[in-house]
Amino acid sequence: MTDSQPEYVSVTLELDTSWRYASGDPMDQFLRRVAQRRIEALRCPDCGRRYLPPRPFCGRCRVPMDEWVPVADTGTVVAWTVVHLPIIDGRTGEPRPSPYGMALIQLDGADTTLNHYLDTADPELLTIGARVRAVWREHQRGAMDDIIHFEVLP
Amino acid sequence: MNPVAVVGTGQTNHAKARPDVSQPELIREAVDAALIDAELTSADIDAVVISNMELFEGRALPELWVAEGAYGAGKPVFKVATGGTSGTSSCIAGFHQAGSGSFDTVLVVGFEKHSEGHTQTGMALVDPFWDRAVASGALGNFALSISQYMAERGVTEEHAAQVAVKARRNAASNPHAHLKMPDLTVDDVLNSRMLAEPLHLLDMCPQSDGAAAIVVASGNNARKRGSKAAWVHAAATRHDQPYLGDLDRRLITTRALSSAAASAYAQAGIADPLRDFDVAEIYEPASYAELAWYEALGFCNDGEAGRLIGTGVTSMDGELPVNPSGGVLSTNPVGASGVIRVAEASAQLLDRAGDRQVAGAKTALSTGYGVYAWSDVIVLRSEMP
Amino acid sequence: MILESAIKLPFSYAAGGVGSRFLIALRDEEAILGGRCETCSTITCPARSFCSLCHRAVDELVEVGPCGTLQAWTEQPGKGTFGLIRLDGADTSLLHRLVGNADEWHPGARVIAVFVEKRTGSITDIEGFATEGEPT
Repeated sequence: MTDSQPEYVSVTLELDTSWRYASGDPMDQFLRRVAQRRIEALRCPDCGRRYLPPRPFCGRCRVPMDEWVPVADTGTVVAWTVVHLPIIDGRTGEPRPSPYGMALIQLDGADTTLNHYLDTADPELLTIGARVRAVWREHQRGAMDDIIHFEVLP
Repeated sequence: MNPVAVVGTGQTNHAKARPDVSQPELIREAVDAALIDAELTSADIDAVVISNMELFEGRALPELWVAEGAYGAGKPVFKVATGGTSGTSSCIAGFHQAGSGSFDTVLVVGFEKHSEGHTQTGMALVDPFWDRAVASGALGNFALSISQYMAERGVTEEHAAQVAVKARRNAASNPHAHLKMPDLTVDDVLNSRMLAEPLHLLDMCPQSDGAAAIVVASGNNARKRGSKAAWVHAAATRHDQPYLGDLDRRLITTRALSSAAASAYAQAGIADPLRDFDVAEIYEPASYAELAWYEALGFCNDGEAGRLIGTGVTSMDGELPVNPSGGVLSTNPVGASGVIRVAEASAQLLDRAGDRQVAGAKTALSTGYGVYAWSDVIVLRSEMP
Repeated sequence: MILESAIKLPFSYAAGGVGSRFLIALRDEEAILGGRCETCSTITCPARSFCSLCHRAVDELVEVGPCGTLQAWTEQPGKGTFGLIRLDGADTSLLHRLVGNADEWHPGARVIAVFVEKRTGSITDIEGFATEGEPT
């Protein structure tokens, strides 16, 4: 017994909890519009930058924002990738089905880029500069994944 | 801030998994090594700073569980949790504590046990309204940023692979490194499994279990040690806006890193980084990142990083060896990775870097990088400020 | 707007050198081990890797209990009854569940460990502590 390798024990625990978060007014307004398939950004009165997601202050100018401007659900791909090693979705403990496409999309009317999924049905079309459009779920509940992904326009 | 210096460093031998030690036992290994290196005992430590993130290993208050491993019971113990910069920010916190005059000797220890947690997922569990449904995690974030970087600055997969080769070959001379690949080639990197286009497996850092510690001494204490002190000449930290899409071209502009570097270089009187630094330990989570850091840190002009890696200037026998330790690309216990940058840079100045020693190193750079929005820059010299 | 957001993730933690020996003793021998510090002789239970007072690494494990004295207890409706138990031979108290009749609980009560039949190397290999003399 003394000559054999000591046995090391691991303790397995599943973290399985949920929390309730208050969105705050800007995000509340934003997501209510998303539920209607409308996207709007908050515009900084000083630098003019149009932000998605919305937040109460412009981080650069440190001033409050309350001017909403319309944003299209079409835009241009600024960066893209196809992920082969899936991330585990922390909300479920399950890996995302892979491979899946992701992109940074400059929506028409916004100055920040949106990090979202990209339809990879035709990989040849995936390039920086490609024009894309949101593909919406049939029923929206007011969340960022009311958009399933963005498809490349021919 | 009063002058302070790093007077001892210690690391575990980093590995894919350490099932033989609990998290407190893991940090005890690094802490004991650092105390021996500093020629001190635990009784000499006035305060402890711990670098680690809650959600990566899914337990609340990691410092409560592990502090005994750092001889912390009964002493002031603070945790710093800022993603990849946790380690460098913890060191800076230690510098400030010792430099304040309130603490004479401060122990900083960072650790991670990736084998016990989920880092990628932990990184995506940020804003519950926006990020959790669509966040990419580390791999996706880098891949996105890199696609822009390649398009705009002309770096190629081959340039990145050269960085990956340099790192793993350097690591072969580092007994602490996780991935040691003395015979790695560019073709090996390009043929390795695609993780997220264009990142191949060997373009990315590993996930490691490990810990690293440094001992920071205030001026009087450090002065008595003569050449056995690595003096802090500058420390700068920058945090940026929260969402990946807030800042176009993050990897390219690297606003947080260039701003921190400008501040640190001004503090330390660095005018020409390539010439003024003898060695650099920079935080490069992906091969492409090192190229972007060459530009942000002023080693070359924008668009020239691909050319620079090819010249050999940043190799072990070049003018400015970058990451003799093998860098984050070879060893990545996230909470420890930033401490390792400072420990390795200090060991170089203390002439204790063994087979990876850069002869006569007197001025060292170490940097930290966290998520996509945080950067630290630290300048160390063997002479007092 | 209020959003309910879940986190559901499995984690696996190494018990380490001392921790593994402690859990294996529970699993294989229904024995509870304390860690004895070579310098000050303080015995922590559950056995811990480092002495709280001297900070030195603990190597020697000794059996404590299975009986002990209840130091404090509380009942959380819907969650159960918990107590701090100073096992015979230990210098620190163990937090665990209490099983059996609540009328018996008071600081100073003598208690004994009750083990489950299917043990896996977990602190829950102990089901809880019952009043001594209570049928197990």
